[in-house]
Amino acid sequence: MDQELLMKQIVEQVMAAMNKGTVSAPSSTPAGGRMTAANYPLAEKEAAKIKTPTGKPFSSLSYEKVLSGELTSDDMRISPETLEYQAQVAESVNREAFAGNLRRAAELIAVPDERLLEIYNALRPYRSTKQELIDIANELDGKYGAKTAAGLVREAAEVYEKRDRLKKF
Amino acid sequence: MKSKRFEALAARPVNQDGYVQEWPEVGLIAMNSPFDPKPSIKIEGGRIVEMDGKTRADFDMLDTFIADHAIRLGNAEKAMAMDSLDIARKIVDINVSRDEILDITLSVTPAKLTEIVGNLNIVEIMMGMTKMRARLMPANQCHVTNVKDNPVQIAADAAEAAVRGFAEMETTVGIARYAPFNAMALFVGAQAGRPGIMTQCALEEATELQLGMRGFTTYAETISVYGTEPVFMDGDDTPYSKAFLASCYASRGLKMRFTSGTGSEVQMGYAEGKSMLYLEARCLAVTKGAGVQGTQNGSVSCVGVPAGVPGGIRAIAAENLIAMLLDLESTTSNDQTFTHSDLRRVARSVPQLFSGTDYICSGYSATPNYDNMFAGSNWDADDYDDWNIIQRDMRIDGGLQPVKEDDVIKARNKAARALQGMFRELGLPPITDEEVEAATYARGSEDMPNRNVNEDLKAIEDMMARKVTGVDFVKALDKAGFPDVAQNIYNMLRQKVAGDYLHTASIFDKDFHVYSGVNAPNDYHGPMTGYQLSEERWEQIKNIPNAIRPEDI
Amino acid sequence: MNFDENMLRSVIEEVLKEMGSASTAPAAKAAPAASTLSAGEMTLADSGEAAKGVAPDEVVIGLAPAFGVYQHETIIHQPHSKVLREIIAGIEEEGMKWRLIRVFRTSDVSFIAHDAAEYSGSGIGIGIQSKGTTVIHQKDLPPLSNLELFSQAPLIEMDTFRQIGKNAAKYAKGEAPTPVTVRNDQMARPTYQAIAALLHIKETEHCDRDKKPQAVTVSFK
Repeated sequence: MDQELLMKQIVEQVMAAMNKGTVSAPSSTPAGGRMTAANYPLAEKEAAKIKTPTGKPFSSLSYEKVLSGELTSDDMRISPETLEYQAQVAESVNREAFAGNLRRAAELIAVPDERLLEIYNALRPYRSTKQELIDIANELDGKYGAKTAAGLVREAAEVYEKRDRLKKF
Repeated sequence: MKSKRFEALAARPVNQDGYVQEWPEVGLIAMNSPFDPKPSIKIEGGRIVEMDGKTRADFDMLDTFIADHAIRLGNAEKAMAMDSLDIARKIVDINVSRDEILDITLSVTPAKLTEIVGNLNIVEIMMGMTKMRARLMPANQCHVTNVKDNPVQIAADAAEAAVRGFAEMETTVGIARYAPFNAMALFVGAQAGRPGIMTQCALEEATELQLGMRGFTTYAETISVYGTEPVFMDGDDTPYSKAFLASCYASRGLKMRFTSGTGSEVQMGYAEGKSMLYLEARCLAVTKGAGVQGTQNGSVSCVGVPAGVPGGIRAIAAENLIAMLLDLESTTSNDQTFTHSDLRRVARSVPQLFSGTDYICSGYSATPNYDNMFAGSNWDADDYDDWNIIQRDMRIDGGLQPVKEDDVIKARNKAARALQGMFRELGLPPITDEEVEAATYARGSEDMPNRNVNEDLKAIEDMMARKVTGVDFVKALDKAGFPDVAQNIYNMLRQKVAGDYLHTASIFDKDFHVYSGVNAPNDYHGPMTGYQLSEERWEQIKNIPNAIRPEDI
Repeated sequence: MNFDENMLRSVIEEVLKEMGSASTAPAAKAAPAASTLSAGEMTLADSGEAAKGVAPDEVVIGLAPAFGVYQHETIIHQPHSKVLREIIAGIEEEGMKWRLIRVFRTSDVSFIAHDAAEYSGSGIGIGIQSKGTTVIHQKDLPPLSNLELFSQAPLIEMDTFRQIGKNAAKYAKGEAPTPVTVRNDQMARPTYQAIAALLHIKETEHCDRDKKPQAVTVSFK
């Protein structure tokens, strides 16, 4: 679909709907500093609050800086704070399960790519002993402060044992 | 004597398809099986201790995960006590809002969801879809693949598909090791055609994540979940590993959805004697419980199984509706060949196309089907005009629009040249001018020269070892003289920093504005509400180039 | 490409018969122990737990639980004896050795191929299901990835099986063969998917989650 048209149409419809009060968009002042649907999209409305995990302001990112090498792929990533904001937006539209996933994700930003892939693979069926899973949970917890993610791994260790899905041979 | 009429009927395409009788005992039944569990719930001490007729001691891994993560407990006992038929009637009642329905359906068990939609006929299911999908306006997704894994063709086909209107694109491989080339060709081709299109490459789970981390893709979809424990294990995952994987994607700012569908369990040999729809409801509950924003469902690659049994196509629409009842982005399949009959394949797509879903196809083959490496789609490039005219006939928005040949040729050529330049700057095996020319005018891979596959595979291995990322694509494209395409790639990478598109049912327009269930929620509540075609959009849809203008006569 | 209703009916009847009661606990059903079963022109015999190979010049072929024992032909009626002979001939043509194992823990062809690769001294294995779906695998790849995948069983002809054997042997030698041309026919699904489901149910019945891969000897008549 033609995107310009699409955009125009949506803006009109959403505006009309909001005037009628049918869209559940809350008021634009975040209560207690929490983000809501009214602050979304954050890239447009809250750009000043977003930073890369390397500490660079979202608004300072530019194409030219990528070309010059000032920005690298390490900069083009999401930060835990931004994911927390997005989780708050999700909660404001009653998507608490999704918000939970975003918070678990925020904890995992610190885990390097390679290690994250290893942990995922270790969680697959018949890959790990119970102790190996518990060790991973402790690592997530202790080394990265990833409490929710560690909780999920501990839960998995229990269920895998009960359901005979731990490493066999 | 043989009847001549029966002889003619026997030769019809519809009679080339495979059909089987129901066999409820092994799960070869679409929905409403006498062996499906009766809905039930018991909560003690803030914990579900009984669900759908099983006590916690008898829970398998999926039951445990669903009970612990997928059901809102606060309202659960009340919602479960409601009559399923009453809930079904609320779904088609325009005076009951989407939010009121979600209050009920997010609090019930898989067996209850199955029972609720089991009361709906196909038109009522469509009414439910119109009201319950997450995003205000529908969109469409395509497949861009070819049997040779030729990256130049992928780039050109993606650019054309972009001009035609697709908001998302998916590729996959014939040879697994070709994946990085296919992913980058799709990325470049899509962004050359229209800024803001999301792209993905369907692969083995860990490999798919790796490509996302490297910035070769912007979202992922082939994260399969299954409705019984043994099949989940054959899929090499558990609900816990999949939930962890979902968080891995979000931690890298990548959008993702799960995939599931009716028929996969019976196809893979372990349906445990339950109906296909009940098992799919379990998949969707796992998806919800993992905190994933959406799903690709609608039988998907197993469509031949439900399509072979009575009521199977209705069940496919019903499973789409269950996804929407769980407030998930609904990406509704219509993506796999299941019949020889053109009549059947249109009828199969009517519910999603006429009601509108977040992504009607997932995807529509942007090549002729002989090049579709998902083993063929229900719709392919040769059907583009049929799709456009069906939109025009019914005054519906199926996400596409008529195009001019010149525009398409220009877009294809630009994408092929951009990829040629990027390959050169990245030190990859050259793309010749002959290949660019062929890709510009090709219908499919039969019109493409062969590449040196071994040289490509070696170059890919080397490129991955050099840790090339999406940022390198930006630099290479700029250097190669395609700064506009480079900027689009940069803008897509930048979206990962903000994460707005992680939200339910997101799409981007050409200026990288995001529209999702957050800022463009579906507010349908009866005639003349919800998504309405604007005059401009209707002009675009109805003005096919081959319509005779009265004033010209 | 005509759909063979009689064949389908006979498969359903067979499966029904075999399942007997509705109790479908595949894992509980013990596979025949170290038995010798004749499959027309081929005899396959289990000979105890398979050993992990060390010879760098071998390719291990992993058979799915029912291959050549409970099922004797692929989905397009290619006899298993001929299929196996072609794969073996392909490996031998490249001057490499071969060994057979049977995988019981799963009927999933990717895992079967991956197990075969892990048991192979060269790290290269082939997995094959009764319906004919075949994978060439390498042990350090993720199980659901592969070197080459032939997912559309109805399109795998005899010459392809020989090519699969040849290419697997070449990978084992450290060469980089041109992958066997992938075939694609979107009408395979409408014609065969329901039948494939039945054949796979039948294969899966013979899985045993706790049983390690078994060495298999073959004699062709």
